[in-house]
Amino acid sequence: MALSPAIPSPHTNSVTAKVKTLSVGNGAASEGTKSTAGQGQELAEQLNEETKRKYVKDKKIGEGTYAIVYLGHLRADPKSKVAIKKIKVNAEYREGLSLDAIREVKFLQELSHPNIPALYSVFSSKNQNLNLVLEYLPLGDLEQLIRDVDGVRYGTADVKAWMGMLARAVWFCHENFVLHRDIKPNNLLIAADGEIKLADFGLARSFSDPYRVMTHQVITRWYRPPELLFGARYYSGAVDIWSTGTVFAELILRTPFLAGNSDVHQLELICQFVGTPNDDNWPGVSKLPDYVPFGKDGSQSYPVRGRDFYLQTFGTVGAVGVDLLMSMLSLDPRKRVTAREVLTHKWWSTDPTPTKKEDLPKKGAGGEARMAEDLKRRAGELDDGRGVKVARILDFSGMK
Amino acid sequence: MAANYWASTQRLYWQFSKQKLAETRRRIEDEDRALVQQYPLPERRFLSIYFNQQIVKLGRRIQVRQQALATAQIYVRRFYTKVEIRQTNPYLVMATAVYLACKMEECPQHIRFVVSEARTFWPDFIPTDTSKLGECEFTLISEMNSQLIVHQPYRSLSDLQSTFSLAQDEVALAWSIINDHYLTDLPLLYPPHIVALTAVFLAVVLKPTQTSLHAAATSAAAAASAVQAATSSVNSSGNGFPSSSSGGNATSTPQTKVQELVGWLAESDADMEAIIDCTQELISLYDVWEQYNEKGDLRTFQQMENMRFQKGGELWGIEKRNRWRNEVGVIGSDRFFVSQFD
Repeated sequence: MALSPAIPSPHTNSVTAKVKTLSVGNGAASEGTKSTAGQGQELAEQLNEETKRKYVKDKKIGEGTYAIVYLGHLRADPKSKVAIKKIKVNAEYREGLSLDAIREVKFLQELSHPNIPALYSVFSSKNQNLNLVLEYLPLGDLEQLIRDVDGVRYGTADVKAWMGMLARAVWFCHENFVLHRDIKPNNLLIAADGEIKLADFGLARSFSDPYRVMTHQVITRWYRPPELLFGARYYSGAVDIWSTGTVFAELILRTPFLAGNSDVHQLELICQFVGTPNDDNWPGVSKLPDYVPFGKDGSQSYPVRGRDFYLQTFGTVGAVGVDLLMSMLSLDPRKRVTAREVLTHKWWSTDPTPTKKEDLPKKGAGGEARMAEDLKRRAGELDDGRGVKVARILDFSGMK
Repeated sequence: MAANYWASTQRLYWQFSKQKLAETRRRIEDEDRALVQQYPLPERRFLSIYFNQQIVKLGRRIQVRQQALATAQIYVRRFYTKVEIRQTNPYLVMATAVYLACKMEECPQHIRFVVSEARTFWPDFIPTDTSKLGECEFTLISEMNSQLIVHQPYRSLSDLQSTFSLAQDEVALAWSIINDHYLTDLPLLYPPHIVALTAVFLAVVLKPTQTSLHAAATSAAAAASAVQAATSSVNSSGNGFPSSSSGGNATSTPQTKVQELVGWLAESDADMEAIIDCTQELISLYDVWEQYNEKGDLRTFQQMENMRFQKGGELWGIEKRNRWRNEVGVIGSDRFFVSQFD
C-alpha cells in the first residue's frame, strides 16, 4: 500500500469537473487530433501527467533487459532523491506486460513496511512504459559489504542488526500471505540511514490456495532450499526462511555458504554441509518429484550436522545465534522455524545488542551504480562474472 | 489474496459509498453529454448482468478459475468508474480484464490464446493483433492506478464455514451467492467479509433445497428484517438471542442455525446495516435478473456497439477513440464538436 498522495485516488481528485474528456489512450492515433484541436485531456491522463511532472529524471544510472533505472528527484524539492525504474514493455505489446513487472507493482503497491522499499508512485510515460517511482537507496546492498573484506569490517552486533531487519521484512511478507522467493544479499538494499530493505518482488507471489501447485523454479540457486531443488510444487514460507538462513551464514562467513554451480551440485553441497536428506530426518522427502537418493549406491551419506559443526563454523555469533541458524537450515521444511518464531528467538535479546542502524558499517562510493545494478537485474539471476569470482567452494575439511 | 484488507488499496481507494459511486458515474457522463445522448445504454443493472455473463462465458471457455474470474469482474467495474463505457470497446476491455486477472491470480494464460478464444465470441470486436490487447492491458493498469490486488469474499467464506459449521450444500449455495454479487455494485460498496457474511446468512435462510433463489427472495426479506429486529433487541436489552420474531420463515429454515447465526452477528462487530443493505441488494438483483432478457434488453446495446464499430472501420481499442470521436463529431452535431474542443 503506497500512501503517497501522488497516487490519484477516486476520493481525492477534485480536478474532475473541470476536465473535458478525451481519449484515455495516448497512442499514436490520437496525436494528430490532439495537436490540431488542443482539446482537454482525459482525466486519468491528466492525473498521470501531474504525477509525471512531479518527478524529474536526472540521469540514467543503469539499463538491463527488464528495466532502465534513473536517478530522479521531486520537482518541488531538488534535494529529494528517488529512483525511477522504467519497465520496458515488450516490443509492441505483443506479449502483454511481463509477469515480473506485474508482480513487482502488485506487491509494492500493497506492502508498506520500513524494511520494504517504498513505492511512491506509478506513472506511464509516452511510449507507454510503466515507471515506478521508488525510494532511493543509495548505499548499495548487503552483498557488497559482505564481499568487501578489506574495506568493510563488521561484527556480530552488526550481523544481528541486519538479520533483524531482514527477519522483520520476511515476517511482514508472510504475515501478508506473500512469498518473496528471491531472498539473497544483493536483494537487500541499504537506505541512507542504514535501514535494510528487502527488494525485488519480481518472483513474489501470494500463498497458493491449498492443493494448487506453484513452480519450483524460484530463488537464486545458492539460496534455494532442498525442497525446491527436489521439485516440490507445494511449499510454504519455509522456502524464504531457508534463504534467510543462508544469508545469515553468508554474513558470518563473508562468502556464500552453499555456492553450487548446478542444481545437482547445490544438493551435494547441502548434503555435505547440512546433512543428507532421507526419510528419517525428513519424512516423505523421497516422494518429492525430483528426489535423488543421495547417500545411496556407494556415495557418501552425511548425517545432519550437529551443534558442534555449527559452533565451529559460525561460532562468532554465539551459541544462541547458532541455534537460530540451525533452526533456519532444517532440512525438513515442516521443522524449519517460521518467520514469527524467528522474531521471538532469544538471540535478539542476548548480548551483544544489535548495532543502531545509523552506526552500521557502510560502503562509501558506488551506491548509485550499485542500486541500478540491483534494480535492472532480472529476478532470480546472478550477475554474470561476479558470481564466478566469488564462487569459491567452501572447504571445511580442515575442521572436522 | 495477498496483504491485509484493512491496509489495502482496495479499502483506501476502491470502496465507495453509494452516493459517491453515483456521483462518480454521473460526472463521467456529464463530461460528454452529447455522446451519452447519442448512444443510450440499457439500464445499468441490466448492463451489469450482461457484462458479467460475457466475462463468465469467456472465463468458462478458457477454463479460468473462479478467483481470477471474480478479479476480472472487479477490474471491469473499477475501470468503468474511471472511463465512460461509450468511449470504449467493452468486449476488448472484458477480454483484457480476464487476461490480466489470470496473471494476477497466478494462473497466466497466453495472450494469443485469450485473443483467439475471445474472438470466437466477439469476432467483430476483438482484433487478431494481440498488441491491441496488450495496449488495453496497459490502459487498464494505468486507470486502476496499478492497484491490482483484489480481496474476494471466498476466503472469508472458508473461514466462516467452520465458525458456523456449515454443511457442504450451504457452503455451495453461499459460494454461488458470492458469484452472483459480482452482477451488482456490491464489490465496490462493501468489504469482502461483509459480502461473505451476507452470503452465509442468505444461504442458511434460503436453504439449498430451494431450487429457485428468486422465489425465495421474499423469505430472505423476512429474514433480513429478523436480523434487524435481532440487532435492535440486542442493542436495547443486551440479550444475545432473538425472540421468536424470525418465525416468519420457520417452515423453510433450520431454525437453530439461523438463531445461532443471528446471535453471532448481533455480538460481532460486523456492520449490520451493511449486511442488511447487501441482503437487499442481492434480493433485488434476483428480482431484476428474473426480468432480464438478454435478447430484449441488450439488443439495442449490441446493435449500438455494432453500429459504432462499423462506423469506425477498424476502430478497435480505446486508443482509437479520438478518431472515432471525430467521426461522431462529424456525423453527429457540429456543436458537440466545437464545444468539446474549444
